[in-house]
Amino acid sequence: MIDWLAAHAPTLKHWLILSSALFAIGLYGVLARKNAISVLMSIEIMLNSAVFNLIVFNRYIAPKGADGQVFALFVIAVAAAEVVVGLAIFVTLFNRRKTLDVTQVAAMKD
Amino acid sequence: MAVAMSTVFFYLLGALALFFATIVVGSKRIFRGAVALMAVLAATAGFYFLLGAEFLAGIQLLVYVGGVVVLIVFVVMLTGSLGLMEDTPSFGRQVVAGLGALNFFLPVFGVLQFSALPEISHEAVALPGADVIGELLLNFGKSGYVMAFELISVLLLVALIGGLVIARKGGQRREEPT
Repeated sequence: MIDWLAAHAPTLKHWLILSSALFAIGLYGVLARKNAISVLMSIEIMLNSAVFNLIVFNRYIAPKGADGQVFALFVIAVAAAEVVVGLAIFVTLFNRRKTLDVTQVAAMKD
Repeated sequence: MAVAMSTVFFYLLGALALFFATIVVGSKRIFRGAVALMAVLAATAGFYFLLGAEFLAGIQLLVYVGGVVVLIVFVVMLTGSLGLMEDTPSFGRQVVAGLGALNFFLPVFGVLQFSALPEISHEAVALPGADVIGELLLNFGKSGYVMAFELISVLLLVALIGGLVIARKGGQRREEPT
């Protein structure tokens, strides 16, 4: 049993398929959802799977270095900043329009 | 033994992450989606542990689970979406979104299936820890990241001030005369 499990250890391919599946789920959410907070949460899933790829490549391609981890740290910091500004915009939007529906907020479309 | 454990945890955490991610994008209740997002991010921290990046796993828990999700929950409450039931997207919207997602996933899956990827090792490798990351972040040399590190701190300051300015109260009053 343990030998069978050890023989089926996840390889680089498995990790990449997992992260691209997470990314695809996030993409579905961004395209399908209408509430702005739901869209932001889907974007978080996508960003998270992209960071995940950096760690996977750090582990399987260059396990001696830590550059992938440093890049992941930078992306996490930028994602946190992005969430702060995005949520501030949502609060202001809700105070002015009483809606967070992204299909209703189309003033810049025309 | 460690390799067998990593197999078990990979499939366990992978199934959990995919399940909760579908809840995030599919749940009608926004608040339930936020809690499921927390589970997805925590499962990702588990993946980082499996890959040997313990420092990143800790950062992931601190920044994402402890910070970003709490912030999202705050905004869900501030905007009164706590009990909000979002309508299920229309059928056409679901089809278009599903096609978009498949249009990304299937080509990537096919390329990964048929490409020869380098395999370093299956054994559990400890990646360089916080000490090496810290040295890289403050390294002035050719392989260092001190410039990006300082710029990130400026970016965080800008985001802090920007968030305060955008979301502060009283911004509405100035618009009334127009």
